[in-house]
Amino acid sequence: MIWLVWRQHRKQALFALAALAALAALVVPTGLTMRGAFADLGLPDCVRTLGKAGPANNETCLTAFQQFNDEYQGFLLVGILFLVLPLLVGLFWGAPLVAREVEHGTHRLVWTQGVSRRQWALAKFGLVGAATLVIAVGYGLGIGWWLGPLNSAGQRNRFDPLFFDMQGAVPVGYTLFAVALGILVGTVWPRVLPAMAGTLVGFLGLRVVLATLARPRYLPAETLTFPIQGTAVAPRETASDWVLASGVRNASGELVVRGGSIECPPNATGPGAAGCGTGLGVEPGAYNWQLYQPADRFWLFQGIETGIFVALAVLLVYLAVRRIRRIA
Amino acid sequence: METALETDQLGKRYGNTWALRDCSLHLPAGRIAALVGPNGAGKSTLLHMAVGLLRPDAGTVRVFGETPYDNTAALAEIGFVAQDTPLYRDFTAGELVTMGGKLNRRWDGTLARTRLAQLGIPPDKPVGKLSGGQRAQVALALALAKRPRLLLLDEPVASLDPLARREFLQALMGSVAESGTTVLLSSHLLADLERVCDYLIVLHGARVRLVGPVEDLVAEHRQLVGPRHGDDPIPGVASVVRASHTDRQSTLLVRTDGPIGDTSWAAHEVTLEDVILGYLADGDRPTSNEAWGVPA
Amino acid sequence: MIEFVLDGRSKVNTYVQLVQQVKQALRVGLLSPGDQLPKVRDVAQALAINPNTVLKAYRELVIEGLAEGRPGVGTFVTRTLAGASLPNQAELRADLVAWLHRAQAAGLTTEDVTALVETTIRATLPVDPAAHLPA
Repeated sequence: MIWLVWRQHRKQALFALAALAALAALVVPTGLTMRGAFADLGLPDCVRTLGKAGPANNETCLTAFQQFNDEYQGFLLVGILFLVLPLLVGLFWGAPLVAREVEHGTHRLVWTQGVSRRQWALAKFGLVGAATLVIAVGYGLGIGWWLGPLNSAGQRNRFDPLFFDMQGAVPVGYTLFAVALGILVGTVWPRVLPAMAGTLVGFLGLRVVLATLARPRYLPAETLTFPIQGTAVAPRETASDWVLASGVRNASGELVVRGGSIECPPNATGPGAAGCGTGLGVEPGAYNWQLYQPADRFWLFQGIETGIFVALAVLLVYLAVRRIRRIA
Repeated sequence: METALETDQLGKRYGNTWALRDCSLHLPAGRIAALVGPNGAGKSTLLHMAVGLLRPDAGTVRVFGETPYDNTAALAEIGFVAQDTPLYRDFTAGELVTMGGKLNRRWDGTLARTRLAQLGIPPDKPVGKLSGGQRAQVALALALAKRPRLLLLDEPVASLDPLARREFLQALMGSVAESGTTVLLSSHLLADLERVCDYLIVLHGARVRLVGPVEDLVAEHRQLVGPRHGDDPIPGVASVVRASHTDRQSTLLVRTDGPIGDTSWAAHEVTLEDVILGYLADGDRPTSNEAWGVPA
Repeated sequence: MIEFVLDGRSKVNTYVQLVQQVKQALRVGLLSPGDQLPKVRDVAQALAINPNTVLKAYRELVIEGLAEGRPGVGTFVTRTLAGASLPNQAELRADLVAWLHRAQAAGLTTEDVTALVETTIRATLPVDPAAHLPA
């Protein structure tokens, strides 16, 4: 079986390796340049002091960060390419795996040899799954390394929807899921193009739903309140927390300003000597409110999301193996 | 005599439609059997159940006493060439023979290579680039290399040109003579069947219409021509397969169980083709004059 | 060794055609005792016919005492049909030619001659079992 799987998919494997090589050719030089610039600007030191004093207190660092971000912000667009990678693997490895066999009728050749269908499926899915895992880990690590400086330069939050999705462990989960989905769709709709279309729709749909609806709720969010007067900077923003919602509540707890905060220096007054924020209808006793996921939950959330996708992938493969028994 | 293939009340349903129903037959070992019927009669469904690709919805199917579905031991005894002889088109013939060796415990790669060499099929060319006839030969060689006791062929020659068809049947007959394999081949082409097959299974409308050794079937059937016939029984006639009438004359295809006792009937011998066509044409054909807007 | 041919349009059963061709070869001396008949596999492959048909034809020849099967080797001719009649054939043939000329002179066509010969054979000669195989 191993011989057959390799013989059947060697072209795809070589193609994937070539694509990875091309990716490396893009990632390695740009990554090195970025790291070089990061070091030249003295940013590693800034990052080390970030937690203690905060960049606002360090003019040199602030300018340096500014300069770095201005120069390499555009690279984030390249990063979006990496978001598509798991989907591509699902489309070109997963969807045709069973669909092409049935479309060409070759399942009737291979399933009538001396190997049971279950063995066939396990060997095929297992080997393709393993190759997928290797590739996904490979590019996951590569992208993580590449994103390092951009992460540290920090204007971008690691919880940022696209940013969260392209680094850490989740790309591995996405890729395994995409392949499993492709396999299953291919057994339900055994034609290559419809299977690919189904995979595309299913993958994007689930990703969007999970990212927008489920991810903020993986763990109960924490709340933070702070007075509208006397704080210079909203305390959590800088610490790379994931702020889900914010606003200003009045003394009785009602939300009077949605999406924002009011921050006045101590003893400051608004126009016409009124209290801070009166112009916005904020009465005395109001306070700022934030709903957030703390920054240190990043890896926990990565783990949860990866777990969800890997579990789904296992479920889909199980369903696909069951489905195959009914194809003739 | 040993039975190669046996079905009992076998049925397969797709949704609400029975693709095959109440199919009971047995095929003795050593026969070369034709599975005949129009497209959609259930031929492929029967073959797919016999080779374990499909699980029956009713009844049983046994190959040398074993249930083939999900049973690799039974599968080792069956060689199968599916319709349109599917092969991995980017594999070379040599690689396909290697593949068979990897996937089967019992595998005669030398046999396959010898056959393909004799047929002049290049071992290092992707089979997708071979002619349809050559591809069919490769598929046959792969099926035979399993050294199967039952060889199932689904419309093996339907898409071949006459020369390739003859070459395929020559190769098939030659190897059957050597191996003594039981063969069941489906076809809707009646030519060649009489020479090749000595056993007949007629399927029509998802049901078995006729089963038996060709010789007996041909000997049992007669065409009777005589005066206009009502429904009264004719001595020696077991059943009327098909009847057509003019106002004075009736022509009947009958299955006999003895000499025709009534001398007013002229009895003619029939060919295998006559018998098959008689059974295939017996379904009620609804006229569609109205749908076509022509007078009946 | 002889080579079989099949008449596709003939209504005569395939195995009967094979039997007849062997007998024909025996009569004209093309096959004589000790000769091997073509292997079943080769006949089946060359004519694309069921090997059981060839086996049946050979079995028929064995039953009639014209051939014998040697297991693992093949089927061999044991007796000839040319026999005593062969030397007489030239003379009989000359008579027949003369008779045919007379028939032609009398205005008989080839079909008429064939029909006359067949009916006369049926009427005068006892039924030869080998010529009356089920068709």
